Amino acid sequence: MFNSLLTLDIRHHVGAISLDVAFSLTQPWTVLFGPSGSGKTTVLRTIAGFVRPDAGYVIYGSIEQVLVSTDERIFLPPYLRPVRSAAQTSKLFLHQTVRQNVAYGMAWQSHPDDEREVLDEVLGLMRLTTLADRDTRQLSGGERQRVSVARAVAAAVTYDGIDKALLLLDEPFGGLDGVLRDELAIVLRDWLTRWKIPVLSVSHDIGECYLLGAEVVRMAEGQVMEQGPVEVVLDEERRRLMKQLRTV
Amino acid sequence: MDLEALWLTLRLAGSTTAILLVIAVPLAWWITSGRGPGRALVQAVVALPLVLPPTVLGFYLLVAMGPLTAPGRLLMRTFGHPLAFSFSGLLIGSVIYSLPFAVQPLVAGFGAVDRAYVEAAEGLGASPWKVFGTVVLPMARASLLTSAVLAFTHTVGEFGVVLMLGGNIPGVTRTLSISLYDLVQDGNYAAANRTALVLLAISLTALLAIYLLPTLRKTDGRQADIVQ
Repeated sequence: MFNSLLTLDIRHHVGAISLDVAFSLTQPWTVLFGPSGSGKTTVLRTIAGFVRPDAGYVIYGSIEQVLVSTDERIFLPPYLRPVRSAAQTSKLFLHQTVRQNVAYGMAWQSHPDDEREVLDEVLGLMRLTTLADRDTRQLSGGERQRVSVARAVAAAVTYDGIDKALLLLDEPFGGLDGVLRDELAIVLRDWLTRWKIPVLSVSHDIGECYLLGAEVVRMAEGQVMEQGPVEVVLDEERRRLMKQLRTV
Repeated sequence: MDLEALWLTLRLAGSTTAILLVIAVPLAWWITSGRGPGRALVQAVVALPLVLPPTVLGFYLLVAMGPLTAPGRLLMRTFGHPLAFSFSGLLIGSVIYSLPFAVQPLVAGFGAVDRAYVEAAEGLGASPWKVFGTVVLPMARASLLTSAVLAFTHTVGEFGVVLMLGGNIPGVTRTLSISLYDLVQDGNYAAANRTALVLLAISLTALLAIYLLPTLRKTDGRQADIVQ
């Protein structure tokens, strides 16, 4: 569907993790999959612009915009990158309502009607319509997380640039219970596909990867082990889990 | 009690606070988010009035504003009169003297804002100025109050700089603390006592505002918990 949308080749040392990662994004939704401590979040933070890699580059979009390149001494600050992100910990703006939080990064101020329409759609999508005017301090953990994801989705959809913004989601469904998680994952995937928003998310949940039918980049100990369709990359992992379940 | 001196003191402290907030907010944000040796130097210069004897600061300002130096002559030409022994001169002196009291609470407040909130906003495409205005400033608003109150009360209480730079001209540079000194010199202890009480009341009220306001805000928090 996409030509190489993002090309990344970075090396970075932080604490005990030594990262040496290279991959390209070609599919609408790609999941970075791996155990905790494998460096998934650091990769996401490097693309977003919160981590300056020791060496390497990240190139994005049809115009091959250099987001960071240590050779060329380029480092775009986060707000100048065609990237919108939601971290794993949902840091909502406490002095704002749910609606204000979700609208925070929207950039269609010149078309207020369209912006409001998208805002309402995103709120509905993430099951937040009835919570829209609540103070964020009154929300549960799962509700907070949905607001955090909705905020990034709304910002990505209304991004005004040559290319669509890349949406980075760090464990977007991590704090949600099973049924709601499955429902949201599918609705969100379909909606973002309609808007042609490319997504790179982080997960250590096999079920989520299968549900999204995503391309998977499997990481371990700071390296990429394998990349491909979920059925190929995670088949062995799935069989192992099934076998474990049968023994139980 | 010298009502003219009270009015002058309040006018001086109010103007100083207003000017200081305009200067201190961006300055504190720059100190909080900046790096490199320039930042250390600026921090040291800003903090200097904390340790410098006020008379030293007053002396240098007096010389700088006088006709003996180039900047002094420039100031004289700009304002049309010497700045020393005038209200404007006193105002400049107060701004410099109280600068650390306005800047340091803000630096502490801005620095205490969780970096993750800043990143959350940046991840949504917010520019540094938008992040500052919509995330950092609202989250650090208590330090804004502390900064204003400390700048105000510190200006009300200044003595050495005023005496050096402004002298003791009724209605122009004679502040309440100078008036108090005068009254004691004259042996008028009754009037001195009243003046001292007013100064004490101003300081205590201001500090009460700092300590009471967070308590009131906590009540809001409790109401939010009940709704939850």
